[in-house]
Amino acid sequence: MRSSGKNKLWNKRGNILTENIIFIILNLVFLSILIVFLFSKMGAAAVLEEMHAKQIALMISAAEPGMTIHLEMEKAVNIVKKEGRNLNDVIIIKDNVVTVQLREKGGASYSFFNDVNVSANFDTSTNKGYFFVVDENE
Amino acid sequence: MKMNKKGDKLISVYWFAILFIVAGGIVYMVSAFYGKPYDVREAEADILTTKIARCISEAGYLKEGVLTENFRENFAEICMINFQVEDVYGWRERGQYYVEVEFLDFDTKQKVFEISEGNEGLKPDCELEGETLPVCIERRFYSIDENGNQYQINMLSVVRKTEKNVQ
Repeated sequence: MRSSGKNKLWNKRGNILTENIIFIILNLVFLSILIVFLFSKMGAAAVLEEMHAKQIALMISAAEPGMTIHLEMEKAVNIVKKEGRNLNDVIIIKDNVVTVQLREKGGASYSFFNDVNVSANFDTSTNKGYFFVVDENE
Repeated sequence: MKMNKKGDKLISVYWFAILFIVAGGIVYMVSAFYGKPYDVREAEADILTTKIARCISEAGYLKEGVLTENFRENFAEICMINFQVEDVYGWRERGQYYVEVEFLDFDTKQKVFEISEGNEGLKPDCELEGETLPVCIERRFYSIDENGNQYQINMLSVVRKTEKNVQ
């Protein structure tokens, strides 16, 4: 009698523990999925493309000829490397329009109003961004 | 004990229901936030205003030749402005920028000179209110010319580009 009573107690404790562990694991899985979703949205290529295209266009609009501007784009550079694209083809500046294309398909463009000639070069010393050389338009 | 167990199960069902509701809310808010484009038009109009102000005046003095017909005709070239935009949404045909500079006599407030560039059709929208309308920025400053004449300079910068900045 005593031993069967002990077994019952043991079983009950075991059940309680298993239920709790499953409950905690499910909660953790749920939260992890939520966090992964948040980070994937925050660092999405499309968001970065739009952000950098506008950022570069505004930067050029405010620039003066003779300036060299460095822009850190580490997250974007990482995406480009993952996609296996050429880092020199990511930023295209033509006819007053900046186009940032981190993926094979996609890309974002935005125009600037400063009548200058700009070239974008990947910064090989840091491997984290680009520098922009602003010259007078010929 | 039986009641407790049932109650526990019920609580965990509610707990997951609450979790799903909270998660749904977060997913909706994040999607709404990141789905919307960044609206940079105000910053753009501000930069445009500053650029033109610097082109017209320096250290409180009007630059030489500003109040001339040649300056008015070659305003964009002299101030290094190019309003060419990307060829989407019919932007090139309509023009997405407008700039207006008025030179008023400081004492009489009479308009003595005026320069404008871009799509004038955007100006009437400045009197209306709405997110999908162009962004307008008005600035005014004081300047004097080489003869000591005093001017109040009113500037209006308008940036449309609605499709890429507002959803």
